Amino acid sequence: MPNQPSHDRFAFLGREFLTWLWFEAERNNGAVQVESLGPVRVEFGQRLVLESSGTVREDSTDKSEAPSLAEDARTALRVGKKVARARLLLDLGERHFELGIDAETLTLSGVKLPTLLAGEDDQRLEERLRLIDEVENIVDELYMTFIRLRKDAETWAPLREALRTWVLDGAQA
Amino acid sequence: MGILSGPVSYLRFVVPSPADGFENAFCEALAQHAFHEIDPASDVERAAGWVQFEDAFASEWDPQTLLHASGHLLLRLRVDTLKVPAGTLKAYTAREARDRCRELQRDKLAKREMDVLKLEVKQRLRKRSLPKMALLEVVWNLGTGELRLLSTSKAAATLFTDVFEKTFGLQIRPVGLLTVLWLRGMSEPEIDGLSALEPERLHLLAR
Repeated sequence: MPNQPSHDRFAFLGREFLTWLWFEAERNNGAVQVESLGPVRVEFGQRLVLESSGTVREDSTDKSEAPSLAEDARTALRVGKKVARARLLLDLGERHFELGIDAETLTLSGVKLPTLLAGEDDQRLEERLRLIDEVENIVDELYMTFIRLRKDAETWAPLREALRTWVLDGAQA
Repeated sequence: MGILSGPVSYLRFVVPSPADGFENAFCEALAQHAFHEIDPASDVERAAGWVQFEDAFASEWDPQTLLHASGHLLLRLRVDTLKVPAGTLKAYTAREARDRCRELQRDKLAKREMDVLKLEVKQRLRKRSLPKMALLEVVWNLGTGELRLLSTSKAAATLFTDVFEKTFGLQIRPVGLLTVLWLRGMSEPEIDGLSALEPERLHLLAR
């Protein structure tokens, strides 16, 4: 198991992940391709917190209905902030999940699971555990997809430029 | 909201797999670190210990039924707090002091008398109060070594980690940005290689 150094050192990876996810969701009409799962529909929900990194953190919180489109969120990107916390809506096949995610720890909060079929308590519990496994798997695989792109200089260079164009041009749109 | 209904919020951990035949050892360990009610006559303000998942007032475990049918070990860490709010204590003590002064026909009590009075009032109020109860749900997949604590509070995580490690003698580690990659099959050299990455400044044009 890897040593987990001070989480601050790698916190930028989590923020870059969520920012990339926003970018991918927008440019592909909500569909983010994950090798092991196929297309995952990603939508950013009603809460988006962008933070600058460094010792003094400032955040821009947007709670509008479509915060990813709001001008404040775009402006925050343009001044170098990245997504620190977000509310996500994920769809894979017929399953729909809604959850909050913290970029620095990938902690999931307020996870809303699909309606259950089972009635008995024991079966309900098993079904809920399976659904939690499923949403965690989706989030982890999205993160893995990002990291594979990020750590490979050949794939990252063009993606970085596309992200830059999106951050700067999208903010001016 | 817990694992059985409503939205869930949780922290992830990894734990080494226990040795074979762990059921008996776990039941003994849980019993040793089981929850015990706070005695209001004491000064204890907080008590923490394990209770059954289905019953917050039961602390016995049977090796035959320790694991849920799903293969998970389900537990609750019960944390009771019995503390008289400072403002409440102050108000009741002041009232008692006024009554005492009236009886003794004095203007005020000496400091030592006040200290003793305050302790007496505190004990009486503790006996009248119910402790605040918190139940932290724990879902432990012994097959994968992954464990979920149904809380995202740092204080809860610290307490849980301490009690868990003392109970089971196993080191528990939080799942973070790097551990997730390891759990997903990325090799340690690849993960170590991430140290070479620096944050991107996406808002600046390339030179």
